[in-house]
Amino acid sequence: MASYIIETQDIIKDFDGFRAVDGLSLQVKEGEVFGFLGPNGAGKTTSINMMVGLLKPTSGQVLIDGQDMKFMNRSSIGICPQEIVLWENLTCKESLKLMGDMYEVPKDILKKRADKLLDDLFLKEKADTLVKNLSGGMKRRLNLALAVIHAPDIVVLDEPSEGLDPQSRRVLWKYIRSLRDDEGKTVILTTHLMDEADRLSDRVAIIDHGKLLRLDTPDNLKKEIGEGDVVEITISDAKRNQEVIQILKEMEHVLSVIEVEGVINLRALDAMSKLPQIMESVEKKDVRIADLSMRQNTLEDVFIELTGTRLRE
Amino acid sequence: MKFLSIAIKDLKELLRDRRGLFFILLFPILFMLVFGFAFGGMGQANTPYNLAIVNYDQGANMPLNNQSTNFGNNLTQILKEAKYQNSDVYLFNVTEISESEADQQLKTRKIDAELIIPENFSQSVVALINSTILSTTNPLSAASSSSNISSTLIIRGDTGFINFGVSQGILVGVLAQYQDDVVIQTQNAVKGTPGAQPVQYLSSKVEPIAGTQNFTTFDFIAPGMIVFAILLLATTVAASLTREVEKGTLARLKLSKMRGFDLLFGGMIPWSLIAAAQVIILFVVAVAIGFHWQGGINSILLAVLVGVIGGIASIALGMIIAAFAQNDRQAANLGTLITVPTAFLIGAFFQLPNVQILGFQFNEFLPWTHTLNALRATLTYGGGWDAISYQVAMNVLLTVILFAIAVFLFTRNRLRAEN
Repeated sequence: MASYIIETQDIIKDFDGFRAVDGLSLQVKEGEVFGFLGPNGAGKTTSINMMVGLLKPTSGQVLIDGQDMKFMNRSSIGICPQEIVLWENLTCKESLKLMGDMYEVPKDILKKRADKLLDDLFLKEKADTLVKNLSGGMKRRLNLALAVIHAPDIVVLDEPSEGLDPQSRRVLWKYIRSLRDDEGKTVILTTHLMDEADRLSDRVAIIDHGKLLRLDTPDNLKKEIGEGDVVEITISDAKRNQEVIQILKEMEHVLSVIEVEGVINLRALDAMSKLPQIMESVEKKDVRIADLSMRQNTLEDVFIELTGTRLRE
Repeated sequence: MKFLSIAIKDLKELLRDRRGLFFILLFPILFMLVFGFAFGGMGQANTPYNLAIVNYDQGANMPLNNQSTNFGNNLTQILKEAKYQNSDVYLFNVTEISESEADQQLKTRKIDAELIIPENFSQSVVALINSTILSTTNPLSAASSSSNISSTLIIRGDTGFINFGVSQGILVGVLAQYQDDVVIQTQNAVKGTPGAQPVQYLSSKVEPIAGTQNFTTFDFIAPGMIVFAILLLATTVAASLTREVEKGTLARLKLSKMRGFDLLFGGMIPWSLIAAAQVIILFVVAVAIGFHWQGGINSILLAVLVGVIGGIASIALGMIIAAFAQNDRQAANLGTLITVPTAFLIGAFFQLPNVQILGFQFNEFLPWTHTLNALRATLTYGGGWDAISYQVAMNVLLTVILFAIAVFLFTRNRLRAEN
């Protein structure tokens, strides 16, 4: 029996001469939250569309539970697309019933499950409201409910937080955790928000330009580029960035200094205690600091380390 | 029974989109009204034709009493007073205008025909009277009779206009009768007795086929308009299915256990109801604006049945279009591009020439040809089930084939993993 619930073997997807996914090989374990982190256009959606059978890979193979896609039980996957994909002229309840029927969920179970989903996702009061009259956040939540009405083993969420207000996002994150913790589902998540990937995922695959750059737990990924804090310095004359970087690199305990989109990005252990020293060295060179901030190491820093750029919005 | 869930979903969506539904039903009504008013009066028996008379006749003196007479005015009067046989309806609405005015009115079809009476018309009538007097009193001298003056009456009109054809036919008849009457009256006058009309050995009578006495071109066209409306459903169905693809809701359904048959068969049910509603609404509109309906309630039920079968064929066509169109605008354009020529091909607007393929009229391969024939048979001519059973059977057969093609193409192009 396969140890992985989904496995992609060197999948490639070409669109009219453009390679959207380039030799992606990865395994998703049963019962984990698996995050795809990458900027918009990195190939995340194309990858998961191939993993759920909406798109044929140009080459390579996708195995679900050790078997070829062709033999997959359609009930085992539920996908929540990035866009809001709903029937505007149906009510929340009718939409859930329709999708339940399409997955052949028995009537009594379907009713109970729909009620619970509406309750969990705070849509109970809107059960009989037409979709076109829902707010954006409510539509997003219904979009998710439709993906899980048939209680699939694997839930695929494509940019689920897109366009959500902080409150709705909290509801969503709580629900995603409960999918894994209470129901033992495998969740595959794509996001360009490192915060989301960091907090929710057991393992994260960082991809850019269709290629897998790293795959590990968020902690390991952060450790890989080293512990420490990140100091971001903006100087008034950006032309002198390289000059300042040279000075900072020579300082003790500084792990790395690079320029990212005009901002000097310095990583150091216990940066707080080193701040006066950093400022002094910079000002010695007669350079004025326009802005300075300090934060903890995040997955974004891992991404910067790997690609030299920030996650593109 | 996944198709039932799809049917309920589609029906709810259709009924809740009031504006969309309104346009689906309104558009064909507009067509029906336009065609009704355009062809409503055409072809009906006992309709007066619009005739302009241009009278150049200068008159002549009668042979016996030397009285001045204008036979052109006389002929004009006769044409004004002429009526259909056994009817109070006049043959013509006569106007007397100048030649240039009449020519102008012909072009705008304000008048159906123009009759030009020449200058020497009276003279030639007098010559006819003279020769009749001579031949009556002295039959042998008739051949070498005095002056033989002939005049030419011109019947002018647009030969491509059906009303001109009819007016011209009637005019030729009236003029021949006029000449005969002049001869008979002269003969009687010479003999001094009123005399009897000559015995008529041959006579003819125009008779409409049973039930069509009051028919107009619209009676032939109205079922065509119903079928045209049903055909246009293909465009609406195609656009609605393509929207489902575009919005991504189809991808949702595609990932489920739903099959192409569920989606398309389920979708067919509410659209068939729309087709039935269209047949009834269009029928009521047609009757309201002058369609001569025969056959009673039974014929309406048969018409709805026939309409629904034709509707299903259109729905299948719409699904085939949706299997290829990239967005709903493309679907609408492609739909129009296919349905309008198809409407012509099946003869919805006018009868087509007889072109045979494998022993069948070429358009018999299209299901809507049979829809149209059956609708005409039952609504226009009042035929019952016997009159339409063959058409219905052919319609069902072709529709089933078309639907199977639709399921195959839609499933292949839209419900498999994309390349």
